Amino acid sequence: MTIKEKYPPGDFGVWIIIYIELVTFAMLFLGYAFSRRADVELFNQSQLMLNQTSGFINTIILITSSYFVAKAVQAVKSMDESNYKEFNKKASKWLIFALMCGATFLLVKITEFSHIFGEGINLSTNKFFMFYLLLTGFHFMHVMLGSIILFNIFMKTKKFGYTPTDTRGIESGASYWHMVDLLWIVLFPLIYIIR
Amino acid sequence: MKKVLEIIWIILIALTIFAYLLGYLKYIDSALVSILLISTFIKGALVIEHFMGLKDVAFKYRVIPTLWLAFVLSAIAVAYYL
Repeated sequence: MTIKEKYPPGDFGVWIIIYIELVTFAMLFLGYAFSRRADVELFNQSQLMLNQTSGFINTIILITSSYFVAKAVQAVKSMDESNYKEFNKKASKWLIFALMCGATFLLVKITEFSHIFGEGINLSTNKFFMFYLLLTGFHFMHVMLGSIILFNIFMKTKKFGYTPTDTRGIESGASYWHMVDLLWIVLFPLIYIIR
Repeated sequence: MKKVLEIIWIILIALTIFAYLLGYLKYIDSALVSILLISTFIKGALVIEHFMGLKDVAFKYRVIPTLWLAFVLSAIAVAYYL
């Protein structure tokens, strides 16, 4: 039996932010789900206008980026005083892949948004698109913030900034990024698939 | 055991492909929606446990996001089936 850590990885403050974000998104998810009940036909017809393939591609991208970030944390946590530079290098390699995934996600989403806006759809088109734009737009901002956080962590690994006694920064950033992934994992079937 | 993250990634990708294929159906049977929600729970739990690393953390912190996930997906199911 392994001994459990007393606290979650990273700074406790980031976990407070994560819990608040989870509650906020939960309200939006439930707002969507129960509004759909009131007009199932409208939601189903509107949903067919979405590009499910771009939602699928973005899910694959975010899951893969989360894997890369988990590998970066694993590298940093395996280091000791004699090899911390080598493990910072390893972590930076994984983080570059994660950052590329983050940028690709944003590009795919911008393409999807420009198609939607090109069709003349906006927040007041109907309730489905109001929720779609609110949920995916809000999530988009979280991916942008997460990418900025990952970039800062990446820069620190380039300076060999993480040591065996200082890994909290990368753990905090990683936890935030995994939350962004977790939110999309719920959002994808809810908005793009279920009808 | 060293390849745990790789195995988790493969499972997550496989479940995502399953969800995507369901999306091709014009009408999704309500039983399939249950399966989709369960597979979404499995995906979320895997991210929480293995990517976030909460499997190695005290139960009270580990359970919060898992309960959140269970609550959200159950409420979505209630909204769908009622």
